[in-house]
Amino acid sequence: MATPGFGGKILLVNLSTKEIRALDSEKYEMYGGGHGTATALFWEFCVAPGDWDLQDAFNPKNMVALMTGAMAGTATPAASRTSVSGLSPQCYPVQWFCHSNFGGAFATMMKFAGWDGVAVIGKAESPVYINIVDDKVTLEDAKALWGLDSWKTQEEIWKRTGVRFGEEWWHLDGGYSVQRPQIVTTGPAGTNMTRVASLIHGGGSGAGQGGFGGVFGSKNLKAVAVIGTGSIKIADPKGLKNAREWWDKTWPRAGGGFGGFGPASVSSCCAGCGIPRMCHNRDRTYSMDSDDCAESTWYSLVDHQTPTEINQKGTDICQQLSLNAMETCFMGPMSFPTDHNKDFPIQPKIPAYTALGWYMKKMYDMGIIGPGTKYDTSPLPMDAFKSEQFMEIYGIALANRIGIGDLLAEGTARFAEKLGRTDDFNTLCRLTMWGYQDHWSMPGVEWAYGNLLDSRDINNHDMSVGRKRGITCEQFVNILAERTLGKDPFWFDYTWEGDRAYKTGIYSESTAKWVAWHQHYWNYYKESVGFCDWGYSQLYNQAHAQGYGHTPEIEPKYLNAVTGRNHTFQDGLEIGRRAWNLKRAIFVLQGRHRKMENFTGYYYRPGASYCGYASELPIYDGTKWDWQNCRELYFTREGVDTFKTLFYKEEGWNPDSGYPTRKTLEDLNMKYAADHLQAKDKLG
Amino acid sequence: MAGDKKPETEKAEKRFSRRAFVVGSGTALAGGALTAVSGTTAMAAQGTKKNAIDYPLSTKYLVYDSKHCAGCLSCMMACSMVHEGATSLSLARIQVHRAVLNQYPQDIVQNICRQCPEPLCVDNCPTGACHVSAENGNVRLIDQEKCIGCQTCMRSCPYSPHRPIWNPVTKKATKCDLCVDTPYYNKKGGPDGTQACVEICPANALAVVDKLPDQADNRGYDRNLQPPPKKAPPFGAFPKGKPKAKTEAPKAPAN
Repeated sequence: MATPGFGGKILLVNLSTKEIRALDSEKYEMYGGGHGTATALFWEFCVAPGDWDLQDAFNPKNMVALMTGAMAGTATPAASRTSVSGLSPQCYPVQWFCHSNFGGAFATMMKFAGWDGVAVIGKAESPVYINIVDDKVTLEDAKALWGLDSWKTQEEIWKRTGVRFGEEWWHLDGGYSVQRPQIVTTGPAGTNMTRVASLIHGGGSGAGQGGFGGVFGSKNLKAVAVIGTGSIKIADPKGLKNAREWWDKTWPRAGGGFGGFGPASVSSCCAGCGIPRMCHNRDRTYSMDSDDCAESTWYSLVDHQTPTEINQKGTDICQQLSLNAMETCFMGPMSFPTDHNKDFPIQPKIPAYTALGWYMKKMYDMGIIGPGTKYDTSPLPMDAFKSEQFMEIYGIALANRIGIGDLLAEGTARFAEKLGRTDDFNTLCRLTMWGYQDHWSMPGVEWAYGNLLDSRDINNHDMSVGRKRGITCEQFVNILAERTLGKDPFWFDYTWEGDRAYKTGIYSESTAKWVAWHQHYWNYYKESVGFCDWGYSQLYNQAHAQGYGHTPEIEPKYLNAVTGRNHTFQDGLEIGRRAWNLKRAIFVLQGRHRKMENFTGYYYRPGASYCGYASELPIYDGTKWDWQNCRELYFTREGVDTFKTLFYKEEGWNPDSGYPTRKTLEDLNMKYAADHLQAKDKLG
Repeated sequence: MAGDKKPETEKAEKRFSRRAFVVGSGTALAGGALTAVSGTTAMAAQGTKKNAIDYPLSTKYLVYDSKHCAGCLSCMMACSMVHEGATSLSLARIQVHRAVLNQYPQDIVQNICRQCPEPLCVDNCPTGACHVSAENGNVRLIDQEKCIGCQTCMRSCPYSPHRPIWNPVTKKATKCDLCVDTPYYNKKGGPDGTQACVEICPANALAVVDKLPDQADNRGYDRNLQPPPKKAPPFGAFPKGKPKAKTEAPKAPAN
């Protein structure tokens, strides 16, 4: 009997042997579902056998796991995401074990089909897609789909059923449905095994980071389609309704965020959602079913106002080809002139979020690529850069590895490496330590530290601690201290200069605890349970009478109502800590060591904090708290070294190596991981 | 809800003649694709109409706003949860279908039970399980104890997909009861209470009204339910005002 909220079984598909198995979910519940469970599955099927070096994401032995959490399909707000995990072809220089996730209704439908997720290993002899109809799972021929884009692929799979979805009941083995199968697929960028390919579900629910579209391609896997007619048992339906109503009443929907996109747009959202953002679109204001994030400005040029219709078309192209929008777009320097321009002699302004398209153009303008150089830019019509034609050819060349597109398909970091320009990571590119574009990571150091300790841009929008209106800085940090349950306001002291930076600021034990909390939180509540980054965590909410966000009360309230457990918020953090430590063990086996965990050079220079969406942060001067503009914040190497020692100790890792210790792993019921690390001489 | 019979007497203005309904159905048949009335089903149902009864009108009707529906399926999950104690798309008595790659507004279809004035599901039910419940505002209900699982109500429904739904576990049909029989609901449901689907909708795309909607086509049920538009806040904006530090925070309910 499955725990309420869970489907009870996990689908394991070996494409090499065509073996299809159902694993009992209960065995993995201690990892929390989602990414946590995927980490455990990766360990069991990819690490424990010990028959490969865990270096190549395109190796058939790699796993790509699409996992759900307990809340998917329960109408819990903003909690229906599908986690994607496996070795990442995008990570640089090591293809780390990584993760991404996407919204929509895929996770919900997986649950109604009775599955908590699907983990895929091996490589099919020829293109296939996995077709899940309740309990029935088949590998279907996808040769005719292989060259199609992500939208046409879905339409073709729907057509194969012959059903008029929404207009008639479809009689399946287990019951009836008017729904169409929910599909996740990849377009040419994935099937051509670029390192910048996303997985696309629907029009624009995408898992971009990690490049898992390319992993699908490497496995000859075009898509996973699922339709379910079953149900998900809720332990306490009335309690779940009560919790949702309490949430709705206590944190009114007008309490911040986007509140929809205004009259020009009609918004929609993921299955079961209800937070104000209403991320997707029914009309074409931001393209079909797309979010308003990076994909909506894929071809927005820095110094050129891209016409709306071209912008929309660009968004569609990006989604159809399955290009990771954030990696391949044309974002470049922002308009935040500062005194530090002299540190970046190539550009007139501080670079920020420099993506592949912008960097490619910069290389062209500098004469590094293009006519007369070693690197021909064909087929890109560089003379028509600011045109729709260029946009289309850029996308097609990249996704299909045509001409210069073959080089660009390796991603910005490897493109720069090929050009012999890895120094650009510190200046032009602003690539964070594992090859990802800088995002909003500074001066919010918890985001930056998270990037350093994990394997990607952790992309956590929830932790913005910038100045809030109508509240003193001291009140604010005390609220955060209370809501994290850490009870230490110095977790939020962003003092970055002088001794105080070590006592209570960004190199202190307090910050180490805050970063650890952050990692444990998202490893469980976001990446494993499936709570959406736009809704959780929420430590502060100005619309609330006391300024409280819904964290830490709402998460266990929802979870306990669905599962029937009696978990506390801290219980969840502990599950997150377990998954985080198991992931750490995988990193260590891949080669991660304290010596590797260093920020890219620009983090140690003036200008590291380029604009900050929240640049005014809490600072404690020894006597009082105040908001200060931290736009000048940057790290020192000595300070980061101090932080690492404190953080490793906080996590129970060996401070010399960063390896987890036996005690830490055994305390988390993972003796097997300690034994494995010891056998590899990598136990801390 | 068990044991109701088709009521014999009601006020004249609360009735709707069979003739008027048949005319209305014909118009619906000629409507757009989204109306999706199955001609075959409708004609078969009308052909098998066996009772010359004027049915009292329901006192409440579920209406919807397809142009502002968020397609989140929350209504379906809430419906199945309060009725069955489990979420399910297949057991939901309201059916929303999202075709994400279709052009707006053809990308979302909402199929709700219209609480028909001339309910063919009721009229054709051989056991009286499907009935007009006088004690519940004349809502058209299916008595699960009387239902023999013959699916006549499903075949009789003139709309496609048919609004009575099939429960493959109990082997019986159910339909929208405006939350009359909701053992897992934390509120009083029914025409005089609240409805889980309406309550949970984050887009104000569902409502219950007491006036019989125009039966000519779907427009009587599919209507703009939105409040007057407010100016959208700019990206990342926060509302004005400040927290009242001395105010007691609402306490969380025990589950």
